[in-house]
Amino acid sequence: MRHRCCRPPRLAMPSLFPEAADEAVASPPKVARAGPPGRRFLALVFPRLPVERLRCPGPVAVWATQGPRRIVTSLSAEAEAAGLEIGQTLADAQAILPGMTLVPQDAAGDATALERLALWALRFTPLVGRVGAHGLVLDITGTEHLFGGEAALLQEAVLPRVTRMGLSVVGAVASSAGTALALVRAGWGGVVPPGREEATVAPLPLIALDLEPPLVAVLHGLGLREVGNVVAQPRPALVRRFGATLAQALDEALGRATRPITPIRPPPEMAVGRDFIEPVVTRAGIEAALAALLEDLCRALREAGRGARRMLLRAYRADGDVQDIAIGTGLATRDPQHLARLFQEKLEQLAPDCGFDRITLEAPRTDPLTGTQDTLGITGRAERQEELAQLLDRLAQRLPVWRLAPRASHWPERAMARVSAFDTVAVPKGWAPRPRPVRLLRQPPILQVLAQVPDGPPFRLRLGRAWHRVLRAEEAERIEPEWWRDRPDRLSRDYYRVELDTGVRLWVCRAGPMGPDARWVLHGHLP
Amino acid sequence: MPAPPTPSSFDRPALIAALRARIARMERAGAAGALAARGEDAVPLAPAIDADLPWGGLPRAALHEILAADPGAAAGFAALVLARAGGTILWIAPEPDAWPPGLGRFGLSPAQLVLVRAPRGQDALWAMEETLRCPAVGAALLVTGELDLTAARRLQLAAEAGGVLGLLLRSDDDGAAPTAALTRWRVGAAPSDSQAPHEIGDPAWNLDLLRCRGGRPARWRATWHGDQLVTEDTVPRTVPVRRRA
Repeated sequence: MRHRCCRPPRLAMPSLFPEAADEAVASPPKVARAGPPGRRFLALVFPRLPVERLRCPGPVAVWATQGPRRIVTSLSAEAEAAGLEIGQTLADAQAILPGMTLVPQDAAGDATALERLALWALRFTPLVGRVGAHGLVLDITGTEHLFGGEAALLQEAVLPRVTRMGLSVVGAVASSAGTALALVRAGWGGVVPPGREEATVAPLPLIALDLEPPLVAVLHGLGLREVGNVVAQPRPALVRRFGATLAQALDEALGRATRPITPIRPPPEMAVGRDFIEPVVTRAGIEAALAALLEDLCRALREAGRGARRMLLRAYRADGDVQDIAIGTGLATRDPQHLARLFQEKLEQLAPDCGFDRITLEAPRTDPLTGTQDTLGITGRAERQEELAQLLDRLAQRLPVWRLAPRASHWPERAMARVSAFDTVAVPKGWAPRPRPVRLLRQPPILQVLAQVPDGPPFRLRLGRAWHRVLRAEEAERIEPEWWRDRPDRLSRDYYRVELDTGVRLWVCRAGPMGPDARWVLHGHLP
Repeated sequence: MPAPPTPSSFDRPALIAALRARIARMERAGAAGALAARGEDAVPLAPAIDADLPWGGLPRAALHEILAADPGAAAGFAALVLARAGGTILWIAPEPDAWPPGLGRFGLSPAQLVLVRAPRGQDALWAMEETLRCPAVGAALLVTGELDLTAARRLQLAAEAGGVLGLLLRSDDDGAAPTAALTRWRVGAAPSDSQAPHEIGDPAWNLDLLRCRGGRPARWRATWHGDQLVTEDTVPRTVPVRRRA
């Protein structure tokens, strides 16, 4: 089980009283590292994501409209080599490199691409967050040893795979998310040993701090060009002049303040996974992998004394695509065979084009489940309950399943409430003493009715195409609308139980005022 | 002395009865056999009807078909059978409109009723088969249209495996199609025996046993009185009914 370790950042707000503000920010935070010690973060930046995700050959530029001008916002490596720069107007860029492919910016497409990359990165750690438009932060604490250490994780597992996807990438590992991000923003990749953050960050250019461009320009004007220069300045003066944003950015970059990660998916309570050297393509292969994963996860659940309420099968395709299948159960369970049957119905949704190279199984929600004693008779009550719950689980994966619970209301449509099929329905004593229809029509057909007197029961009525004589009709039962929850113009209803000459018994209803224009409907079939 | 008493070869009725019993034992194996061994394999309806059915009632672990000449009467009769089967009841329909306030009169409590909506026929058949295979269920009802022989046979086998009583509720438009169900009923409304024009009286039904494996067709007029089904022998029988073997 993994808990989120990140606390919200402690912002030093600008104060009305400069002295107080000075005191608050002047002394560096008492604890040098705000988060728990020993955490390690991996930051990734994809500087050319908008261009490279298009997979166009040749020089490419992505542009966006800013006010009246069209500005280049992203460039491919070839275009940059030809001397183009980000921030140029599109006309200038075209003059330099006339044959270039031009693509308008698609922010939503970029966000989707980054989301897919974040999902792909879940194979390394369950805690992955997006940063800005092109960045990811992975909390790799405790998972790096699975890949042979931090350097191996970065250099052998992450970067080559991203490069194979056709994306340029910079990655860095550090003891705080802010430090790692500062390094990759400045284009510096590698692993920073714990305790060396300040020394590594000091020589970086100011672009490493996540600051507004005007602020960076002002600092440049003061001759401050490196992070170390800014850090060396007296802190009260910095805060007074440039606000708390700069101090916060500095603290994050130096690892003194924690930068929170918002995970793209909440970390599961329990998860197991398997890697495949040869990608799995066939249905039989996927089923075998699922069986092995279920076995692992159910063993872990049994050891923890818990049962899963929701399960998520996440398949990582070799080309970076990630596909999810979720199932839910009504009662907590850790029976691999039952869970496998629930997944059976949904495995068709997977599309293993080029095969899955990793499949994980997570239990995002679990409930306590104590062991049940089996082998005590075959008709045990608990066992029956479990079998019924499993049947309802299977049905509920494909179809809506519910129970009806009595409710305190005379209005026929409201007399029963839909509840979950796993709820226990309590029946009040003396419930339903009156004869009522066995089938209540959801869309009551309109009847043509002749009555001898305006407020009397029907005398003849038309059902389908034929007119029928009413042999017997009981006294009207008036049901008034429930003013406390109905709309004000709801009409009261008079219900009649009638028997036709064929013996058919019906529950007919007259809504609204008596008279020739009364509206009659057939609301139910009596037994 | 061998277990089955061997009748002399000249006693033809006894021989045929013994052979029929053997065939019935072979046909209804599995859970059906276990239920029969415990003596709880039949749901009683009314004494007169039970006497005419070869099983002494409507057997569990089997499929029964009800043709609804009138929706209300058929639903009432189905509710009666389901309630007497006991346990959890599943009502599977394209648009389940069963209403517990009325069903409660036949002993079917909302606490035991589970509704399943299956708009597609394929889903409905799958749900019914899964339900019939589950021994934790008491009985299941499927509201369906035309059903081919293969599907019905599958359901019958599933019911035998799980020991669940299955009902097929169909409208009464094509009664001629063959069926794999153990019995086929046509249930219609009968004029009530109430004398007053302002009182409907007890529910009254015409029960037609159209087909019955190992039995003869028969016909009853039945009234639901209090909490039991009362038959009246006013309706002349179309065919003489064979005594129970």
